[in-house]
Amino acid sequence: MPETRHRPFSPARIAAITSNTFTELVRLKVFYFLLIFALLLIANSVFMARLSFQQEFQVLKDVSLGAMSIFTSLLAIVATAQLLPRDLEDRTIYTILAKPVPRYEYLIGKLAGVLLLLGLSILAMSAVFLAVLFVREEMLVKETLRQSAGLRPEQVQEALRGLKGSAFNANLFPGIVIIYLKASLLAALTLFISTFATSNIFTIVVMVFIYFIGHLQATAREYWLQEHGAGWLAKTFLAVVALAFPDLQLFNLVDDIVAGTAIPTGLFLQTVVLGCVYTSIYLFFAWVAFHGREL
Amino acid sequence: MSEPAVAVHSLTKVFPIPFRRTKLVAVRGLNLEVAPGQVYGLLGPNGSGKSTTLKIILGLVTATTGTAKIFGRDSREVRSREAVGFLPENPYFYKYLTGEETLRFFGKLCGLHGRRLQARCDELLALVSLEEARDRRLGGYSKGMLQRIGLAQALIQEPRLVVLDEPTAGVDPAGSREIRDLILDLKRRGITVLLSSHLLAQVQEICDRVGILAHGVLVREGQVEELLAIENQTELILENATPEILVQITDLLAKSNTRLVEQRQPQTTLEGLFLEATKPGRAE
Repeated sequence: MPETRHRPFSPARIAAITSNTFTELVRLKVFYFLLIFALLLIANSVFMARLSFQQEFQVLKDVSLGAMSIFTSLLAIVATAQLLPRDLEDRTIYTILAKPVPRYEYLIGKLAGVLLLLGLSILAMSAVFLAVLFVREEMLVKETLRQSAGLRPEQVQEALRGLKGSAFNANLFPGIVIIYLKASLLAALTLFISTFATSNIFTIVVMVFIYFIGHLQATAREYWLQEHGAGWLAKTFLAVVALAFPDLQLFNLVDDIVAGTAIPTGLFLQTVVLGCVYTSIYLFFAWVAFHGREL
Repeated sequence: MSEPAVAVHSLTKVFPIPFRRTKLVAVRGLNLEVAPGQVYGLLGPNGSGKSTTLKIILGLVTATTGTAKIFGRDSREVRSREAVGFLPENPYFYKYLTGEETLRFFGKLCGLHGRRLQARCDELLALVSLEEARDRRLGGYSKGMLQRIGLAQALIQEPRLVVLDEPTAGVDPAGSREIRDLILDLKRRGITVLLSSHLLAQVQEICDRVGILAHGVLVREGQVEELLAIENQTELILENATPEILVQITDLLAKSNTRLVEQRQPQTTLEGLFLEATKPGRAE
């Protein structure tokens, strides 16, 4: 073979690993998660028909965004936890790393494959969610028009505006982006844990603990600071806890969105940056743990 | 003199055993050189350090002390692997990929793309006789077919060195012969081959040079013919020898009209040498 210049970083190599990882995950039928999500939404919209339209849309958005958050987080953990152990067990990792592939490219490719799967999953779930929202809105518009036959046009317009305002608002999109970022950081953290874990069950159990601690730590921190004050020792300890266990409550904007409160652009961008920083740090930790590992 | 394909110098690998104070010495002060174009066989019983040595050469495991180089480049450098193709023992590739997709995946990892990658895939599928199975998923391949697709992926970037860990393990005699023929074909094309194997007769047939490892120590090393020679014996190959001549042969040899066709030292088998060299207590 003619001598080629080796590139220390090759997007083409990463793309090959990414697409292979994505194919692997698709063949594992993780998309069944999405089917459950769709069924849950449809069932939810049927049972909510007895409530007022404001309540119905609120519950629909609450359940849908909550389900999207839990499903993507679960998918991120379960899908990532088995990637490295499977490659080690099947010895496919030997053939890959015996090629001129740096270990960081292998890790980036694996994570990117999971992120691609999560991205497509969240797109599909959003499509189902918005479709259900749209269908219910159309049904209620027809019903409102039927019921308000004797009312003045201004009153009818007012009722329709109120209905449409409570069904759809633009804040849904930043909310969905933040759900994706939370799943991304969980995938990166799972990848890190799996570089030294002894089995994928261990990784999943550790990640479930981290998930709960991540959601509860903000409340615990506030309580601690209120009770014990903010000494330097307490602050250092809390900073270490915040690094080891991501503050997942920061990614929980569902309540605001459901209530129809606008998410300030500054808060949204801050959360996006935080998500990207957490994901990058955990990916870096994964490389530190993996680059010298004996295979 | 050209750069050795593989140069291993004073290589030692120690594995700490978790929760115990003892350590496992997998390879001890190993020195090894494989010349370009040579077929080198690394022999040894299970646990003798063959696979660890190969993994160090491939940069999958780090040596405790000593160095391993591939064509003059430190094996810890990712770039050194541009010149190497590797077939692990009992390879399991991604079962959901077809034969062609597998080759395309490994080709992309080596920087190949477009027409060049396609041409290389076609060429290799023909070389390993898997053209008809190119669109079948690897989950449906037999052991011999997996070994052949494994060899094809090892060759995807036209490496100058091919490392084969037990290339015929678990393969039936016919499949084993096919792999042997492929290795001989690589040799004809000037590709260096470093292999580990338990099939001693096959190693004897295809290797130019062998090294025998026992308990992490290289106990014998050299050209196959030299190692197999028995120094205190002489072998006479006679033609047209009658029974009478055979009886009087030592006295009459010089005077008789029996033609001495060849006079050379007889050989033992590689198996005999291997068993003798690796018997317990030999390496201590």
